Amino acid sequence: MSTAFHHRLARIRALVFRHESLLLLILLAEWITFSFLGRRFATWENAADILRHSAEIGLLAVALTPVILTGGIDLSAGSLLGLCAVIFGKLWRDAGFPPTLAAVTAVAAGAVGGLLNGSLVTRLKLPPLIVTLGTFSLFRGIAEALTRGTDTFTNFPNTFLFLGQERLLGLPTQAWIFFLLAGTAWLLIHRTTAGRNCCSAGFNPEGAVYAGLPLSKIQTLAYVGVGTVAGIAAVIYTARLGQARADAGSGYELLAITAVVLGGTSIFGGTGTIHGTLLGVAALAVLNNGLVHARQPRETAGILTGVLLLTALTLTTLAYFRSSRKPSRTQPSP
Amino acid sequence: MKSALRLLLVLGLGFLLAACSRSSSNPDQKKITVALMPKSKGNAYFISCKKGAEDAAQETGVELLFDGPTDPDPARQNEIIENWTTVGVDVIAVACENREGIATALRKARQKGIKVLTYDSDTTAEARDFFVNQATPEGIGHALMDEAARLTGEEGEFAIITASLTAANMNAWRKHIEQRLAEKYPRMKLVATKPCDDLKDKAQTESTALLSAHPNLKLLMSICSPGVPGAAEAVKQAGKGGQIKVMGLGLPNENRAYIKQGVTQSIILWKTLDLGYLTLHAAAALGRGSLQPNAKSYSAGRLGEITIEGDNLLLGKPFVFNSENIDLFDF
Repeated sequence: MSTAFHHRLARIRALVFRHESLLLLILLAEWITFSFLGRRFATWENAADILRHSAEIGLLAVALTPVILTGGIDLSAGSLLGLCAVIFGKLWRDAGFPPTLAAVTAVAAGAVGGLLNGSLVTRLKLPPLIVTLGTFSLFRGIAEALTRGTDTFTNFPNTFLFLGQERLLGLPTQAWIFFLLAGTAWLLIHRTTAGRNCCSAGFNPEGAVYAGLPLSKIQTLAYVGVGTVAGIAAVIYTARLGQARADAGSGYELLAITAVVLGGTSIFGGTGTIHGTLLGVAALAVLNNGLVHARQPRETAGILTGVLLLTALTLTTLAYFRSSRKPSRTQPSP
Repeated sequence: MKSALRLLLVLGLGFLLAACSRSSSNPDQKKITVALMPKSKGNAYFISCKKGAEDAAQETGVELLFDGPTDPDPARQNEIIENWTTVGVDVIAVACENREGIATALRKARQKGIKVLTYDSDTTAEARDFFVNQATPEGIGHALMDEAARLTGEEGEFAIITASLTAANMNAWRKHIEQRLAEKYPRMKLVATKPCDDLKDKAQTESTALLSAHPNLKLLMSICSPGVPGAAEAVKQAGKGGQIKVMGLGLPNENRAYIKQGVTQSIILWKTLDLGYLTLHAAAALGRGSLQPNAKSYSAGRLGEITIEGDNLLLGKPFVFNSENIDLFDF
């Protein structure tokens, strides 16, 4: 056989063994399997369901990607979502704010929460895991205190519920916000200097500082991003359920981090992509939805999510070890 | 290149097969599917409801889908209901974790022609066809008072432990207890009503205080479930087990030990098995069109004739658990 053929084969292999390609295959496999198992799985209507149910976790995952890229972590995103939902509900019901103004204020509150995380991490040099573990309890605690754990905000006007329960131009309304923000994040991370700096900061923090990169600024901005997006997700969550309560978004941070890691972002920072994260979100959302169509109990979702994550990471790592013996274009593993 | 082509071929074939399997599924095979949702799956109360539902599913020949959140989570309840709506089940029966939050999802299901039933805890009235009501306040109040009278020989002082003096459902029960007392038991006297904040510890402290403040007390009645074992512990530690009767609303498993020791005489609750049975039986009838909106009664298999009040199916009188029958129940 000719060497040209070998080169071609190596290039195909490099492409196939990229983490994102693997995820795409997993997604296709899920889609095909569930199409067999569920009569109404492969319908436009169900695709809309999947989008609707994954918007909030998807948003958090996209926002968390830059934080994890810089080598940080944010465990407080789900709690902040809950706090923002309560703030939104209180402003609307008790302070008489119109929904739009209440939403803007809730998003601003989210940004402030993110700024708190960012400042503690960059100014005091506290480990992000500890800082956000603290705010994880703090934000949820404030949300519970504001509602005394029992107060529920409901009876929102239909014009507001449109955001979470209806469709706009064929897609669930919130999907447009999700796509818009995901697109913006992709451009920011993959097409701007700031985005490249995010990766450098995570890949080699000291090097980044010596190279004159504004490390603190990048990190703070990343946390503010998560906070802001948590605020947006809170408004969408409230509109989707038609209610805001202190328990909104419990556990969402871990689901979002799972999606990011499944998407190929290294938990140590430095490598990862927004499209990988989106594929990760999709793989998890399709799995959760498909299992209902396949009439499988919910417990299965937990098991399969774990298996999926470990399999995907193992395969990529194995592919990386194999290719690292020979020079190749495969990406480093997460 | 070759491998990529082969991959495409396999995927294409997969899609083709998927398409075939969809078109060949038989549309006129009318087996009804009822989707049953608990507040949370791990809760023994709902597991026992599920057992009853399984019996009814077998008798009525419907397919039963049982699923729900692992923790009581309103968002997950909504998501699963929305998925069930897309899947196209025939009937959804749900114990609502959140009254208003779930209403939109249920309304959408009804717009698609799915019948909706609630059980255990209701949603807003226009979001469902029927509510399977396990017990009316009157039924609970009367059952508690009658059982207390039976235990004391219709004579003497008793005290009530409640969760809080503001809880709406418990106040409704208390109203009916006091009415029944005034009407039927003139020789009995309610000497105190104490709140325990739904805590076993506090119920125990309050009970101990009641025992010393009212030396002639013959019975402690707790109308919140943590209160029954709390009161029992107080009576046991005072060494008055059997002398001062303990009874109330509670779950068999929480009270089994005290009932065996003879400290607690009886607890009152509905049979969760029957609640699940009736829910699924009615769901099947609703799906097949034999249970209509204005029905006045409903014949529910082994439970016999069930009264319908408005859009509430009434499970009937609460059940009294005591040392003779408690071992038949596990929840």
